[in-house]
Amino acid sequence: MNAVFPTPDTAASERLLSPDELEAALRDIGARRYHILHPFHRLLHDGKLSKDQVRAWALNRYYYQAMIPVKDAAVLARMTDASLRRIWRQRIVDHDGDHPGDGGIERWLKLAEGVGFDRDYVLSTRGILSATKFSVEAYVHFVSEKSLLEAIASSLTEMFSPTIISERVAGMLKNYDFITKETLAYFDKRLTQAPRDADFALDYVKTHATTPELQRQAMAALTFKCNVLWTQLDALYFAYVAPGMIPPDAWRPGEGLAAEAPARSAAGGRMAPGDCPRLPRGVRMRYDETRSKHVLLAPERTFDLDDNAVAVLKLVDGNRSVAAIANELGSVYAADPRAIEADILVMLDGLAEKRVLER
Amino acid sequence: MNALTPNRPVVPAPVGLLAELTHRCPLRCPYCSNPLELDRRSGELDTATWQRVLKEAAGLGVLHVHLSGGEPTARNDIVEITKTCADLGLYSNLITSGVGGALPKLQALYDVGLDHVQLSVQGVDAQNAEKIGGLKNAQPQKLEFAAKVVELGLPLTLNSVIHRGNIHEVEGFIDLAVKMGAKRLEVAHTQYYGWAYVNRAALMPDKAQVDASIRIVEAARERLKGQLVIDLVVPDYYAKYPKACAGGWGRKLMNVTPQGKVLPCHAAETIPGLEFWHVTDHSLGEIWRDSPAFTAYRGTDWMKEPCRSCDRREKDWGGCRCQALALAGDAAATDPACSLSPLHAKVRALAVEEAAETPPDYVYRTIGSNVRSPFKEEVHS
Repeated sequence: MNAVFPTPDTAASERLLSPDELEAALRDIGARRYHILHPFHRLLHDGKLSKDQVRAWALNRYYYQAMIPVKDAAVLARMTDASLRRIWRQRIVDHDGDHPGDGGIERWLKLAEGVGFDRDYVLSTRGILSATKFSVEAYVHFVSEKSLLEAIASSLTEMFSPTIISERVAGMLKNYDFITKETLAYFDKRLTQAPRDADFALDYVKTHATTPELQRQAMAALTFKCNVLWTQLDALYFAYVAPGMIPPDAWRPGEGLAAEAPARSAAGGRMAPGDCPRLPRGVRMRYDETRSKHVLLAPERTFDLDDNAVAVLKLVDGNRSVAAIANELGSVYAADPRAIEADILVMLDGLAEKRVLER
Repeated sequence: MNALTPNRPVVPAPVGLLAELTHRCPLRCPYCSNPLELDRRSGELDTATWQRVLKEAAGLGVLHVHLSGGEPTARNDIVEITKTCADLGLYSNLITSGVGGALPKLQALYDVGLDHVQLSVQGVDAQNAEKIGGLKNAQPQKLEFAAKVVELGLPLTLNSVIHRGNIHEVEGFIDLAVKMGAKRLEVAHTQYYGWAYVNRAALMPDKAQVDASIRIVEAARERLKGQLVIDLVVPDYYAKYPKACAGGWGRKLMNVTPQGKVLPCHAAETIPGLEFWHVTDHSLGEIWRDSPAFTAYRGTDWMKEPCRSCDRREKDWGGCRCQALALAGDAAATDPACSLSPLHAKVRALAVEEAAETPPDYVYRTIGSNVRSPFKEEVHS
């Protein structure tokens, strides 16, 4: 296709299109330029990306999500008609929610957290590609500077988003074991919000683009918006897929991730002779002078210890393995280390199950 | 009963001290365990007095100190007090709402040796949680605080008080605890004393909800073995036997109020006629052994039937004295939560009836409120 800018052919762009023709022309722009076609999205939806590449996407896309209400507020500021504003302001409510913990941005943060990011790191926007920022900011400037018709027309990518969302949700759930339905909650809402928003915007554009010039502007605006989205994926592809040139300030795999959940003891099986047990912070053994015995102090618990348990726990330091502890005790008590090992594995497993011992 | 009574029970050493450092709190939970008449800041014990109390507690054999409130981090000297615990070898447990001063002070608390954090969560859904706690924007602060606790490597316990306003979220609390990286979760059905008694009709869940919540917890315990320990406190009104309140009166725990009064349990002041001693007048040891409030219901001598001859008398120690007073009009009666109490059926019926009605609005906890002591409502046989 030898598409010139804007996309419809010259003949069509010189005459006034009927509203239905205009809609068809707008849909045609999406069919050829919407970012569902971008190689990065194909990789994403087909499960071909690594976890870190999915993370890069989630992190960068956060910037877009976070700026959408800023963009919509800019559009809103240009509307002199209260009835229009009442409709448009719903977009801001959808994204910001009406209390903390609610709204589209929050749900995107959940998604980012779901793939392992530390929330504060995402919020800081450090590590987001400059190309992402430039592209998103160009969108905000566009809606502030162009006509209201163009500002509204630029939102029409929402017409195409239900398709991409359902493909994405299905593809990601199927292909990535680290993605859960909960992580993708953002898209549940957008499936209903986007068509509602798009219906209004499309109707507005069809009604108000009353000359060939205005129709060309509307189509150009939508093309521009497709490019805003496309460019972001170009940047992601370039930095994180091929050639993999990550700019100096941008996120690198391993950065900004939340601390991994503490080691699970039972989940990963039982204590093995080679494991090095340790008492985590908040668990300690001390001698109780009042009662003349050792106790293990733990969250909301006290464990009374017999002499054997005390002898074992005195050697639990995170460096000695269970086998080493058994050997030491075997030589002190002149007993078979193998028998001791079996006993102390039972005891240590019992404590691990109560979450007062880790390895 | 005095020190010369020959059959005076042997007094065991206390293991826990609940230090209610302040009644000030940014939350206003309608089931708060603080008394209806809250202490004001001006009357709070000073740092040096708390430090002396902690030293005496360690000497008596106390092992765990629960730094509580109100919101304990509302005190400017919370770090100093925590350090004193660490210096004395006392296990320090910060019982916090996670809002206000909690996050800014957390690093310092960690640095001086805080052992454990128990964070209250009122609900899973932010809007619901904030309605219950009566504080806007509390939930994100709590989540941020929890993340920091886990990041520091401190053990975290989530405490969820369960009632009809959040009983549908029990599964959610479990997920939240796992997600936060908590090691323990307390699913504690509301105990109806103090503010919770005032709000009982707004809080009481029905039996089917309670049973469902217990089943959820039991399944999760199995599923999450080794990952999350879940403690379950079932609601008294639906129980068969009562709880051994505070491990038995004057047997394990003592509670020091912000102004320095020492109580056998946090609700003991609701019992009229009990004489409480004050840490500024007596040593903690004297108070534990000899103060009239502690000796009043210690052991089994004070018991009436059916407790007196019951073979569970040294298991549950007659249940809760405050609840006996509230529901039976006699603090020495068997706790009506016990199925052996002649009043049990009525208490149960009351719970069922309240749970069936549309819940009234919460009466939020406030300092200087004119909510009157609620213990007029009695169930008579």
